[in-house]
Amino acid sequence: VSGFPVGPLLVLASLAALSSGCALRLAPPPGARVASLRVSDALLEGDATRRASLRLVLQGLGEDENGRAPAARSSYERAIQLDPNNPYAYLALARHEVDAERWRRALEALDQAELLFASESAPGADAHIAGLRGAARFGTGYGDEAELLLDRATRIAPEVWADGRLSADELR
Amino acid sequence: VSGLPRKPTRKTAKTRSRGGAGRPRLRRWLKTAALAVGSAGFVAGFAFAGYVVRLDRSVRERFDGERFRVPSRVYSAPSILYPGLDWKLVDLEGTLLRLGYRKVATTGELESGRYLWSPSRLRVQLRAFDHPSRPEPPHDVVFVLRGSQIEEIRELPAGRELGAVLLEPEPIGAYYGPDREQRELVWLEEVPRHLVDAILAVEDQRFESHHGIDPRRIAGAMLANLRAGRVAQGGSTLTQQLVKNFFLTPERTVRRKVQEGVMALLVEARYDKREILQAYLNEIYFGQRGATAVHGVGEASRLYFGKTAANLGVAESALLAAIIQSPNGKSPYRDPERAVERRNLVLELMHRQGRISEAALQRARQEPLRLAAVTPDSGDARYFLDLLQRQLASSYSSEVLETEGLRIYSTLDRRAQRIAADALREGIESLEKRYSRLRSEDPRRALQGCIVALRPQTGEVIALVGGRDYSVTQFDRCSQARRQTGSVFKPFVYIAALEPRPGGPIATLASFVDDSPLEVRTPSGPWRPVNFDHKFHGPVPLREALERSYNTATARLAQDVGIERVIDVAKRMGISSDLPAVPSLALGTAIVSPLEVARAYATLASGGVRPEVQAAEDLVNEEGEILQRRRLRFERVLDAGTAFLATSLLQGVADHGTAAGLRAGGLRGPIAAKTGTTTSEHDLWLVGYTPELVAVVWLGYDEPRSLGIPSSQGALPIWRRFVQDLTGGEIRGSFRPPPGVETADIDPRSGALASWGCPERRSEYFLAGTLPVLTCPAGGVAGTRREPAEREEVERGFLEWLRRQL
Repeated sequence: VSGFPVGPLLVLASLAALSSGCALRLAPPPGARVASLRVSDALLEGDATRRASLRLVLQGLGEDENGRAPAARSSYERAIQLDPNNPYAYLALARHEVDAERWRRALEALDQAELLFASESAPGADAHIAGLRGAARFGTGYGDEAELLLDRATRIAPEVWADGRLSADELR
Repeated sequence: VSGLPRKPTRKTAKTRSRGGAGRPRLRRWLKTAALAVGSAGFVAGFAFAGYVVRLDRSVRERFDGERFRVPSRVYSAPSILYPGLDWKLVDLEGTLLRLGYRKVATTGELESGRYLWSPSRLRVQLRAFDHPSRPEPPHDVVFVLRGSQIEEIRELPAGRELGAVLLEPEPIGAYYGPDREQRELVWLEEVPRHLVDAILAVEDQRFESHHGIDPRRIAGAMLANLRAGRVAQGGSTLTQQLVKNFFLTPERTVRRKVQEGVMALLVEARYDKREILQAYLNEIYFGQRGATAVHGVGEASRLYFGKTAANLGVAESALLAAIIQSPNGKSPYRDPERAVERRNLVLELMHRQGRISEAALQRARQEPLRLAAVTPDSGDARYFLDLLQRQLASSYSSEVLETEGLRIYSTLDRRAQRIAADALREGIESLEKRYSRLRSEDPRRALQGCIVALRPQTGEVIALVGGRDYSVTQFDRCSQARRQTGSVFKPFVYIAALEPRPGGPIATLASFVDDSPLEVRTPSGPWRPVNFDHKFHGPVPLREALERSYNTATARLAQDVGIERVIDVAKRMGISSDLPAVPSLALGTAIVSPLEVARAYATLASGGVRPEVQAAEDLVNEEGEILQRRRLRFERVLDAGTAFLATSLLQGVADHGTAAGLRAGGLRGPIAAKTGTTTSEHDLWLVGYTPELVAVVWLGYDEPRSLGIPSSQGALPIWRRFVQDLTGGEIRGSFRPPPGVETADIDPRSGALASWGCPERRSEYFLAGTLPVLTCPAGGVAGTRREPAEREEVERGFLEWLRRQL
């Protein structure tokens, strides 16, 4: 082992990997445009508990869409009861809180959603998290920061965030 | 002069009386007597009027004021059923029975609250759930089953597939006043006519026509009693019964009977029949359920049939009416055959009085007796109810909770609660059997324990058992006791060391800590911590120090970090008790409650977000308005990366450290845990969490004395049994590293970064930017934080090496 030129080989291999990664763009860089995230797209993922929890999130979004806010919130809470690590439930709850202009609660739910999405593969989550955070920051009086966040959301998912808001139907 | 009347002298009077002037004297006597009688009559009349006025005032006060003290009722969280769920594990049929659902054998249209088994199918007519913000309509659903799993759920008749179905929350208890009366108020409009008819047929068939007293009934009763030679029949009307229950004692005296009659007349004069009937339906006594008195048809319908009064059928109504006369003596649970006989008698009476048709009579007579399963008393949830009451105390006094009939929807998971209660009870009993010295003859001095389980992300209390037996002692050892924590406090020291700070954290998971003799000067003299095994182990990896729960290494790390910083971490994570800034704090000398410990560990399980401990979801008043709604709060108090590193350390404790026994029963999946045994084994702890649950088990005596066993033999088996039974042995989810946490291979012997040629390696987690700077084989021991000069030297060495290679 001692005679083997380990060091130069390692460096070369690293450089090769780096250059091929750049060329192929295996993962979208942060801020790149991706398909908008929808809860229904995730329905086939995860185990039975996650799927049932997602169904409850969808039910809540339907209730939000029909103006039954208390029932919607209850559905999100039930989704969390079933699967407390379901990021979609926290995202939907955050959207609900933004609609109700409860900014602090929205930001807390977004923190949870962001943390949980970080360990799941959901490329479109970034846009919604940035957009909802922007809306909540705007509500709490941080206009400049809000603008940056909303710009980011619009850049990633213009079809949803062009109007600066995320409807329950758009998240469904 | 002779014409003037002379003043009568004594003599004159005597002379006259003797003299035979009888008539005027008689008249005068009569006058006096009449006057006396008149006066007495007037006084008596006046007194009687006063008496009536007083009774009238009592009647009005009761009827116009708060008629009933209605205890607030507490419900569990609803059970959620969904495809993929193990219906046997969650005891689906048991849950249905506890909710008052009844099994039927015939197909066709199912009544609400009935279920039907057929091969691989369970059809349930789910009842509607009344809640102001989240009502559930009735559902006719069929569960398609494969083995122990629910394969799919379909709603009939359309066959639409459902993703999840909620069962209504289970009642788990109520806040009773001193009289311990339980009732569910009903309005006359919602009570079916046949229930009223059944009661009137038996208790007061001329209720609509009399004025509070029924002379015909009294005469009939007297006759019947004379014939029987004993009191065989009562002559009281429904109004009299109501008056008796509302105002009077059950003694049988003439005075009380008169009072009852007068009050009944007053009630009838002041209030209409509908009001009286409604009051009666809510007041009438239907027997005991444990220590609780069941009053009113609403509560009785729940108790005997597991349904609301509105849903009672003719036969069920007749049975309730039959019970009224002697609710405890004639309980249908005691003697079902006699209950059916009496029910049929009531049905006959109803028919004879023209209240039901011949066809209805025949139908009802054919119905078998179908009673709701006898649900156990809320005994095992009573500690939880007390915790809930304490949480609500700032907004709702006990008077309000005992009288205003609130509906409190709690976070309790009925199944988890039952499992926790069983695990604790049987766990302690098993210990006492194994170690007879732990037993005590006096139940008040017996070995105690508690178990509390939270959903870490939301802080919802899903189970809490505060002691062995609530009837012996109501002191909740989970939320009211403050006990030394022992080693379960140690993770706070490690977290404080791992947390990012300017210049980098004090330690990483690759660090080594010194487990050699330590002496710390304190105002009360030198403090020299020793290990459980009375040995010192020299420099040990950080992981091993916690996995083996080394005292000296932890105490030294706490000295490096600073006790104030350890306190800050513990407080941030949810410890609210006072923590003295003394060196021994690191080893758990502070006294805190198990609930605080649960909250602090929940912060780790939820990635550094501290939850609020919540026992209530919402409160609804009698009018169906929401009075209070909980809010989910997520407050980040710890960097997600640090929380993950701590979890990783505690996973090591569960996998191959002092809590490795957790795996002995075959528990699979992610577990992070810490054992704790205090000085002289006064307190045994096991704190453990999964991605979805945190649970704390504590064992000890109320007056501390040694148990003589470590927590791995005391608290650990109880925790394991609880989680095993709750999850079926397969724990869901995983602890995933958050962004900002990197993995790298290290040399376990030195903690240095392992490169090619390093003889041993294992993967380790690091916060970004905290990878070891030394390498194996070239590196040395990676201790705690490196000095900048040392770091520069290593960097210079690396650059030199890179230049040479290129």
